[in-house]
Amino acid sequence: MLATLVTAVVDGLQGSLVRVEVDVAPGLPACHIVGLPDAALSEARERVRAAIRNAGFEYPASRITVNLAPADRRKRGAAYDLAIAVGILVASGQIRAEQGGWALLGELSLDGSLQPIVGAMPMVATLVAAGQRRIVLPRPNLAEARLVQEAEAVGVVGLDDAARLVAGPRGRRAAQAIRREPARVSSPAVQAEASRPVPPAEDSSVDLAEVRGQPGARWALEIALAGGHNLLLTGPPGAGKTLLARSIPSLLPPLDDREALEATVIASVAGLLREPTDLRRTRPFRAPHHTCSYAAMVGGGSRVAPGEVTLAHRGVLFLDELAEFDRDVLDALRQPLEEGSVAIARVSGQVRYPAQVQLVAAMNPCRCGYAGDPQRACTCGPHEPERYVRRVSGPLLDRLDLRVAMRRVPVEALLGGPAPEASATVRERIAVARAAAMARNGGRPNAALSGSAAMRLAALERPAMARLQQLAMRDGSTARGIHRIVRVARTIADLAGRATVDESAILAAAGLRDPAALPPQALAA
Amino acid sequence: MASSREAERDAWLVLAAVEGVGPRTLSALVGAAGGAAAVLTRAGRGDWRWLPPELPLAPQLRARLHAAHRPAPFAALAARMGLWMLTPLDASYPARLGVLPDPPAVLFGRGSPEALRGEAAVAIVGTRHPTLLGRALASDVAALMAGCGAVIVSGLAIGIDGAAHAAALRAGGTTVAVIGAGHGHGGPRAHRALEAAIVAQGGAVISELAPATPPTRGTYPRRNRLLSALSDAVAVIEAPARSGALNTAHHALEQGRPLFVAPGRPSDPATAGCLRLLRETEARVLTGPLELLEDLGLSVAPVRAARGSPGEPAGRAAALAGLRGGERLVAAALCEAPAGLDRLVERTGLEPGAVSGSLALLQLRGWVQAIDGTFLVAGVLSHP
Repeated sequence: MLATLVTAVVDGLQGSLVRVEVDVAPGLPACHIVGLPDAALSEARERVRAAIRNAGFEYPASRITVNLAPADRRKRGAAYDLAIAVGILVASGQIRAEQGGWALLGELSLDGSLQPIVGAMPMVATLVAAGQRRIVLPRPNLAEARLVQEAEAVGVVGLDDAARLVAGPRGRRAAQAIRREPARVSSPAVQAEASRPVPPAEDSSVDLAEVRGQPGARWALEIALAGGHNLLLTGPPGAGKTLLARSIPSLLPPLDDREALEATVIASVAGLLREPTDLRRTRPFRAPHHTCSYAAMVGGGSRVAPGEVTLAHRGVLFLDELAEFDRDVLDALRQPLEEGSVAIARVSGQVRYPAQVQLVAAMNPCRCGYAGDPQRACTCGPHEPERYVRRVSGPLLDRLDLRVAMRRVPVEALLGGPAPEASATVRERIAVARAAAMARNGGRPNAALSGSAAMRLAALERPAMARLQQLAMRDGSTARGIHRIVRVARTIADLAGRATVDESAILAAAGLRDPAALPPQALAA
Repeated sequence: MASSREAERDAWLVLAAVEGVGPRTLSALVGAAGGAAAVLTRAGRGDWRWLPPELPLAPQLRARLHAAHRPAPFAALAARMGLWMLTPLDASYPARLGVLPDPPAVLFGRGSPEALRGEAAVAIVGTRHPTLLGRALASDVAALMAGCGAVIVSGLAIGIDGAAHAAALRAGGTTVAVIGAGHGHGGPRAHRALEAAIVAQGGAVISELAPATPPTRGTYPRRNRLLSALSDAVAVIEAPARSGALNTAHHALEQGRPLFVAPGRPSDPATAGCLRLLRETEARVLTGPLELLEDLGLSVAPVRAARGSPGEPAGRAAALAGLRGGERLVAAALCEAPAGLDRLVERTGLEPGAVSGSLALLQLRGWVQAIDGTFLVAGVLSHP
């Protein structure tokens, strides 16, 4: 007898439908899974057999063939367990499947209970989009599934529940199946662990009120976040680069509905969603350590998963100690920074993840940290500072529109001085400026404007234009350098609540541009 | 006649290429035999009777001289690399090198040999890892000297040397780099572009070593004697206790070249070597670019003229008085000490945007320069 059920596979962030066909036929007892399964999926055989028996059903002593169609697509993971198990029950005549039945998602334990799966949300979205609205999935994934509109998702605890649902009121054996208790655990310690509420993500964020001094760097950060400009903070150890960057989460505006859905899908695929779950409203801030591997940064690995650039989609990717990252890892960032997405090529096909990130980086000017210090001599060898900076490739440095050199805060500023502004105040200004920019630019931050669009939308006042021309002539700036000044000036004007860009904004932006772009440095070491 | 002079020069080059024959031996041999060609002819015949008793040549050296033949082994490589060669037999050999007991037998060079015989030449040397202030001082001195026509001589190293060469070029001047290895090995890779710019702007990059000679421990100290010999004065900008610049300074004293040393704070290791020079030798204190100009007897007037803009104020005070608003506050703060954006905001009490804008204006005027995010006074503001 043959049974056909529907489930889904997720590839990148897109899901696609998979049909699970189970045939139970007379012959020597055996179970074959065909249709490009990976190792975890091939092991479904063993899990399914034990789960069926322990849930109070009978595992047929027949020849079982499971086909996952379309057969040419590689399938990974354990999310098909439930569909395979229910398929065997239907095919062996133990339960009868209702017409227009359910799609099934879930991993089985040997005792017949269900384990949560990774990427449930895009799978549910795929099924709903294909007209398959009734979906059975593990209860921990239910909240996630309900984020998808029009989904009629039911969360179940064990195989028996799923069987009852599929069989409907006319189920025969299903009604007698053993009732599974949720979260049956062996030892009290494990039980305690399981019942403990998930601790909120460790909040290492800093309020700007705790950052003393550094008025220039704070200002640059405000501009960067309001306009989406990439920012590089340089300075000796102890200058407060990391502390300042840690205040970014408290300054970012929340995600809107569309962005929140995207972020939640990404979190779901990365397996980062936990119960109780809701749409991710906070803008991502990712700070991978500099030992981060290539696959961890851009995504990939044997089981293709999104990397840090994707997890930071529509948010901020903070790279502390930029020069200490592997060269390959940094060079891999160029594609996402240019295209806003990252493509991972595999033999089995290409996966594309979104990766619109704003890059904030921090680095020492050299290994000892004192190169360029007005008073203290750098103790590095003669070529070292240059070599140190060169570990970051030119094209990547070129993408960092704003560069601020930070110095250690003098003691008097640390202990006294006026109380710095708190994050809430600055966040308000950033949100207003960002909203103004988005409305004017058609939903894009100023940093994402093309050169011509920047010139058109910046609304330069006449004196500002004259000043810009003067700057361009004096420094022999490239078109790219000029557009960079205009974009930053546009953000400065947005923060000031001005509709047009005046001369002072152009000058302020020019003062912030990359110092190394000035001609006197062209010839110096 | 011309051909015999050429033959003599060729023979000189052949002798200079013989391993173990340095400038001293070479001139002694040529003196004893009455000409380089004569040395070669006699050595070829195995005739050594003409050797004076105070010049007993080792047997290996005699054998090498005996086997030497034209053309000199390095000549082909030098030609391929586009190098010119100067020997003391050439009229354009720099006369300043006469101060040396052992002037180089051959100078290999790129660029313009005339740069070696400029009216005035100043060597600017210092450490390979300078502070920002040291780098700025080197640039200022080099720019001013080059601006009034002096050739800036230095060693093409990273640090003070590079800053001096680059500043001289920016000032539209001529500069000469003396490297401590053969041209085939050249200067630091990071300075390839600088090297090309020096040549393109009428300067020269020279070495007394054959093109294939690699740099070794001994080549740099020997090179240093050329830095001072090719200059009318030597300025040491920043030298820690152990520095090649100190070696150059001692050569300058031996050769009777005026030596100017920029002082530093007594506790500062970056200038420990400078202070020792000032204490232990007759070196003079370098108090600023303009004073150095006066001490050298060069006129300041053409500099002011060369700086162009007739409205340019005469000094820092006048320049500051001509500024208004934020620009004036920022400029005054920078005159006290170089600073980054953060410090300037704190010192002036202005909004960061206003400080940044003022800095842009001051940079447009050429009165402020930015190095790695620290801002320093430049131009007229750096001459109190």
